[in-house]
Amino acid sequence: MRLKEIQRTAHQAWSPASHHPIYLALGTSAQQLDASFNTTAALEIFEMDFADPSLDMKLKGSLPTTNRLHSIVWVNFGLGADGTGGRLVSGSENGAITVYNVEAILGSAADAVVGQSDKHTGPVRALDFNPFQSNLLASGANDSEIYIWDLNNFNNPMTPGAKSQPAEDISVVSWNRQVQHILASANPSGKAVVWDLRKNEPIIKISDHSNRMHCSGMLWHPEVATQLVLASEDDRMPVIQMWDLRFATSPLKVLENHTRGILSISWSQADPELLLSSAKDNRILCWNPNTGEVIYELPTINQWCFDVQWCPRNPALLSTASFDGKISVYSVMGGSLEGQQQSSVDKISSSFDNMDPFGMGQTLPPLQVPQPTAQTTIVPPLKKPPKWVRRPVGASFAFGGKLVTFENPPPAPAQSPQPVPRQVFVSQVTTETEFLQRSRELQAALQAGTFVHYCQAKIQSAPCDAEQDIWKFLMVNFEDEARVKFLRLLGFSKDELERKISKCLGKNFQPNGHGVDAKDLAEKMQLLSTERADEAGAVSDTGSTSPTDFFSQIPQDKPSFQIPISSDTDGLISQALLVGNFEGAVDLCLNDGRYAEAILLSISGGEELLKKTQQRYLETQKNSISMLISSVVTQNWRDIVQSCELDNWKEALAALLTYAHPEEFAPLCDTLGGRLETEGTEKRSLQACLCYICSGNLEKLVECWAAQRDCSSPLVLEDLVEKVMILRKSIERLRNSEVPLQSPTLAEKLTCYAGILAAEGSLATAMAYLPDDSHQVSGTGALVFSLHASRCLPTPLIRTHCKSYVLAGNVRTYCTSYVIVRAYIKGAGYNWCYQRNLYFSL
Amino acid sequence: MVSVINTVDTSHEDMIHDAQMDYYGTRLATCSSDRTVKIFDVRNGGQILVADLRGHEGPVWQVAWAHPMYGNILASCSYDRKVIVWKEENGSWDKMYEYTGHESSVNSVCWGPYDFGLILACGSSDGAISLLTFTGEQQWDVKKISNAHTIGCNAVSWAPAVVPGSLVDQPSGQKPNYVKRFVSGGCDNLVKLWKEEDGQWKEDQKLEAHSDWVRDVGWAPSIGLPTSTIASCSQDGRVFIWTCEDPTGNTWTPKLLHKFADVVWHVSWSITGNILAVSGGDNKVTLWKESMDGQWACISDVSKGQGAVSSITDTQQSEQ
Repeated sequence: MRLKEIQRTAHQAWSPASHHPIYLALGTSAQQLDASFNTTAALEIFEMDFADPSLDMKLKGSLPTTNRLHSIVWVNFGLGADGTGGRLVSGSENGAITVYNVEAILGSAADAVVGQSDKHTGPVRALDFNPFQSNLLASGANDSEIYIWDLNNFNNPMTPGAKSQPAEDISVVSWNRQVQHILASANPSGKAVVWDLRKNEPIIKISDHSNRMHCSGMLWHPEVATQLVLASEDDRMPVIQMWDLRFATSPLKVLENHTRGILSISWSQADPELLLSSAKDNRILCWNPNTGEVIYELPTINQWCFDVQWCPRNPALLSTASFDGKISVYSVMGGSLEGQQQSSVDKISSSFDNMDPFGMGQTLPPLQVPQPTAQTTIVPPLKKPPKWVRRPVGASFAFGGKLVTFENPPPAPAQSPQPVPRQVFVSQVTTETEFLQRSRELQAALQAGTFVHYCQAKIQSAPCDAEQDIWKFLMVNFEDEARVKFLRLLGFSKDELERKISKCLGKNFQPNGHGVDAKDLAEKMQLLSTERADEAGAVSDTGSTSPTDFFSQIPQDKPSFQIPISSDTDGLISQALLVGNFEGAVDLCLNDGRYAEAILLSISGGEELLKKTQQRYLETQKNSISMLISSVVTQNWRDIVQSCELDNWKEALAALLTYAHPEEFAPLCDTLGGRLETEGTEKRSLQACLCYICSGNLEKLVECWAAQRDCSSPLVLEDLVEKVMILRKSIERLRNSEVPLQSPTLAEKLTCYAGILAAEGSLATAMAYLPDDSHQVSGTGALVFSLHASRCLPTPLIRTHCKSYVLAGNVRTYCTSYVIVRAYIKGAGYNWCYQRNLYFSL
Repeated sequence: MVSVINTVDTSHEDMIHDAQMDYYGTRLATCSSDRTVKIFDVRNGGQILVADLRGHEGPVWQVAWAHPMYGNILASCSYDRKVIVWKEENGSWDKMYEYTGHESSVNSVCWGPYDFGLILACGSSDGAISLLTFTGEQQWDVKKISNAHTIGCNAVSWAPAVVPGSLVDQPSGQKPNYVKRFVSGGCDNLVKLWKEEDGQWKEDQKLEAHSDWVRDVGWAPSIGLPTSTIASCSQDGRVFIWTCEDPTGNTWTPKLLHKFADVVWHVSWSITGNILAVSGGDNKVTLWKESMDGQWACISDVSKGQGAVSSITDTQQSEQ
């Protein structure tokens, strides 16, 4: 397939492989004139822009030259850091060798010529640069002249040895591709000479006995150091000979197909099984030199092509220079020529004025350019796929964290009888080692029921206090007397407290009980309320310091007394008492601020009165402990959790643990947790989590935990799942029944968790975590879930899931349902129609 | 940790060019220069040859499994310019369709997301990309993008059907508005994005960063996040990660993952889109993962299916 074309009668040189973009340098050919007999000469550099579908080459720089060329090479020497630039070296008809700085030509700078030598006495037809040391250049001219040039010191060339006799033109020089000090030269008479530059002499001469080889080309094998090919220009022997220096008596192989002399050859450096040749039979062939087979014939050439060259950078491209003055670039990968042919026809056609060029008053029909039929048909690519399209290695991921890899060992020597094993490896990729380890531990604990042990291990390995606290709380759930133990964890121990109280009362005995420490009072109040049925102070020992005695001491302070009956408060109280009007007496006491009397009296006045009195008393008290007392006495814990200072969360929780009824306990803990959570700090959130653990509220725990953390990381998610699963087990233990995982947040997190497990290859474990009601899962989790889960769930189960889901009216949004159902359908791989009906019934 | 759980001896007589597991990870399809496609049942570490598919007349470059919703279907493409769709019917595999519309080697095949039905994208050295859609009753509709990559298309990869971020802000009750999109890479060194509009395929974006043939492209699976990600690898040894956070899909930013010493042939995303497997010409397979701060780090070197995995932090520390 032809890609680019330009009208030039020129020699060509591709930019080196490192050069991007790809350039092609063209220098006007010697001994060829175009139809205009133009004798000017120029060196031009074009860019090959293959993103541009037109055949045009973009001129990037040009330089008028004084000489016409016989040869040109683009040398790797002096490349810029980005691999661009370098040197162009040309050999001209008068024997001059000129070195150009590519950068300067591209930049139209004046000093483009950086070296020139007239050392050769005749036309320089042969040029090659050393592939290992790019500063070394070999040139060949008439009279057996061969020079080795050092671009670092251009003026003093060396010779590879004594001139071979008799003196002949040198038509080709070529450096060995494997051994850097080996050079070969060839001449039209058919002899090739191999020089060793270390010895400075020819080491072997190759000559065919037929004497008909007229060497127009010679190339070393790109990979085998001892092999080279010679191409013959002689019409009587239009062949390419392949020689091996190890058997240098006759050619190893002769490639015969051309019918007239071969003008040029080029060996692909990217694939040694691709050798190009152009001949005077107007054909350009591509050979597999190993088999001698012609694997490609370049179409559309109607002219001798005197130079053919593979592109070093893009191995599928080659350029041709033909005697009809065209430089063309082709791809050997085949393809249609139709599109581009059409455009060239249009171009030719439109270059004439169709309207009325001869002034005859009539429009001419469009120009019909005859199209050879071969050009419009499809050009097949190389018969043998080139090396550069054969992918040798691959790695592809598959479901469940599996990786499928293959690599092809370098081709074994052809003689090797052992067939190469062609293996594909299926591997398991696990990147979350710690995650998997922990999930295994969790799974083991869940299955074995060793929860306490698991929690203990967690407590020991906890990275911080907060984490440790949480695990301690979680563990308590599995023990008896959980509430007492919770209290202890919060820092409240009954025994410890009793000691403190005794101490306190012993040292600071105060009959007026106001203003003592809250716990102290709470204790007192508790005792009071538990013993309120007893007559206060019925039995007592003087001097006793026990709280009960404290109250019973009060009446004993007055050994004898009179009953006042005056009209003041005292009098009214005693009168009321005397007639048994407890209510009135209590009212009077309260009114006078005699709370103790009021309480005492109301105890005698019955339960109802006592309650009323307590209430009225508490209403009047506005100090810090009154709320607590109030709550303890009235059994109203809601007030505490709703209005205590958040710093007192521990105390509030302790109060709940001590007093709250089992049925009230959980909601109250949740309320407290909710308040802590709304503050939004990490500390509070952890405290809230503790509340939720006490209450056994899975959903809240998850929400609170997740709100503070980005649960997308596997380990963070693992942290959460561990807690949730353990808490769930403890609740199940308490309730003696299975706890469903109903919360959407939780379901989503578990789904995510299952997704990661699945991606790491733990499919069975992943399934264990899939929520039953996964249709409630929305968003990303759902997708990840469906991606994974649907692939490992057995089909009947999916059907059940799917059906139940479709039948369940409680879908959250259509969108979610769409994704999920789609996912299920996707995974199921069974009767699509049936599923589609279900699906559309949504 | 990358550990071999199954070594499948394919008995291919020449180079293997592709190996792909089916959707469930139970079957393995391989293809080779020996012109055959083979299917193995690899469940439970086994390797039972299920099918040896012969029909191509040249090296088979790639195989691709269709979504199981449509049955057991495998597509293969070859240097012989043909694309063959194979189908299992009653336990035996046969040709379901043969497409001969390309003029040169077909280098890549990729099935579109199942939401779009059975649709196959094929990239060829003739520069064109074909889109083959199954319309039922053994009929296939063919659309062709000529000159998609001037001197050859090497790879195609579909975008996920889910529009980035759609799961996040999809108004309820609306069917997501799917647009068919895919990415291709070619010998013109370009990565191109294509989009179907009113039934016509149009070039949507042209991404330039590589300086040599783009060997492979991979559109990362979407997990519902609002970012689209594409990986591309090239003859120039470079792997780029292209991301687009712009909802209109117009602004793509390249990030160089790494420059390898040799040609990079293939890139493959894990199912969750967080690990990229890169295979290079020096027979090296490496795994890459993005760290929290957006840097890509190599977490594993895989050789013959084996390799250690380092955590990202370790890798970064060792690099510093």
